[in-house]
Amino acid sequence: MKFRFSNRVIIYIAILIVAALWILASAAAPGSTTIGRIPAPQAGFLAPEISLPTASGEIIRLSDLRGHPVLVNFWASWCPPCRAEMPAIQQVYQSLQSHGVVVLSVNAANQDDRAQAAEFIRSLGLKFPIVFDEAGQASAAYALHSLPSSFFIDSEGVIRDVVVGGMSEAALSIRLHRLLGETGGAASP
Amino acid sequence: MMPILQIGPLAIPLPGLLLLAGLWLGLELAERNAHRFGLQASSLYNLTMVMLLAGVAGARLEYALRYPAEFAASPAGLVSLDSGLLDPAGGLAGALIAGLIYGSRKGLAWWPALDAFTPLLTVMGVALALSHLASGTAFGAPADLPWSISLWGARRHPAQLYELLAAALILAVMWPGRKGQITSPPGRYFLTFVALSAGARLFLEAFRGDSQLLPLDLPVGSLRLAQLAAWLALAASLWGLFHLGGPENKGYFDSDATSEPEQHLNQ
Repeated sequence: MKFRFSNRVIIYIAILIVAALWILASAAAPGSTTIGRIPAPQAGFLAPEISLPTASGEIIRLSDLRGHPVLVNFWASWCPPCRAEMPAIQQVYQSLQSHGVVVLSVNAANQDDRAQAAEFIRSLGLKFPIVFDEAGQASAAYALHSLPSSFFIDSEGVIRDVVVGGMSEAALSIRLHRLLGETGGAASP
Repeated sequence: MMPILQIGPLAIPLPGLLLLAGLWLGLELAERNAHRFGLQASSLYNLTMVMLLAGVAGARLEYALRYPAEFAASPAGLVSLDSGLLDPAGGLAGALIAGLIYGSRKGLAWWPALDAFTPLLTVMGVALALSHLASGTAFGAPADLPWSISLWGARRHPAQLYELLAAALILAVMWPGRKGQITSPPGRYFLTFVALSAGARLFLEAFRGDSQLLPLDLPVGSLRLAQLAAWLALAASLWGLFHLGGPENKGYFDSDATSEPEQHLNQ
């Protein structure tokens, strides 16, 4: 039996062989594609450090929360979507705190009024840690473009999801459950 | 990078806006050229809307099935605009199933329908590249080149620009009605687009810094999953092109076709 290959078949086969060779030539060294060691406010990167004071002056560092899934949420008292989503954050925090989830709430104090922020916290009955970014360093490190902005960080300190805008309770809960699912949960800090 | 477009008090996510613009422009281009593939513009529009709605519903339904307790506690989440609660796999499945059902009921022939969709897909390729540029995703591997950009803590290949250039070239090559373009037999136009896109992705993935790697250490390193998928798509499209044959095969309006395009194409 004779086989005759048309020019077209030869060209197609050549294309596939060259493509396969390119795949081999461009293979990556294990761990070389970006995931996790450079700090940057983007999913897949190490979460930039936050070191800010609470209202009582206690310093909270994001790196001290390593080992726990963390939600970092930036907000301001003048921001209506921030106000709308805070009860959901409080609710989810209450239900998942025992599973090791931490909420680190960052008030964009460099663009907010401290007294109004305090009233905001009091009126909504917020119980999670809240720090104040007076100098705007955290806002800059997280390339804040809009409020609210939320960063979902896994127990190894890597950002897994970035959400700009308010979220529903379901959206918050699902994202935190995804983080818990990856980590298997952890004791409360 | 410009993830948010600030217009007065409005903060509009630019990546999403670019994708919507691409969908609108692509659909407009596809509808204007549907007649080249024997379809009416209205048929294409209706099929697109059915698939879009079913895709969104499927994407959200997949999440609802995976996290029923969370949605039961907060039912508003079912209809929220949160794009992070749309599963791509569920969306694709929903869109394909709805498209198959709708197309079968309307008697649409599949190769001509896919050909008619191709202008939309080429424009969406450009829109996707622009949305990556706006959001900073699909970023490049670290590289110190004269044309490197500073992004995410390192100087990198401008992978989003490479992607944009490739998508623009594909759009130019596939522009409907371009002189010398071969669109017969039915299916050739779509498969050519698939082959070009798969080839581009296979080549450009090498410059990405966010590739998912095959969990298998080889002497050459780790293979990139997207390149493997692109190779399979390239092979399938080339096989399809070979199987369809050359432009001498029957086209949309050959001499033995009826004068009514849709009668000729309905099977």
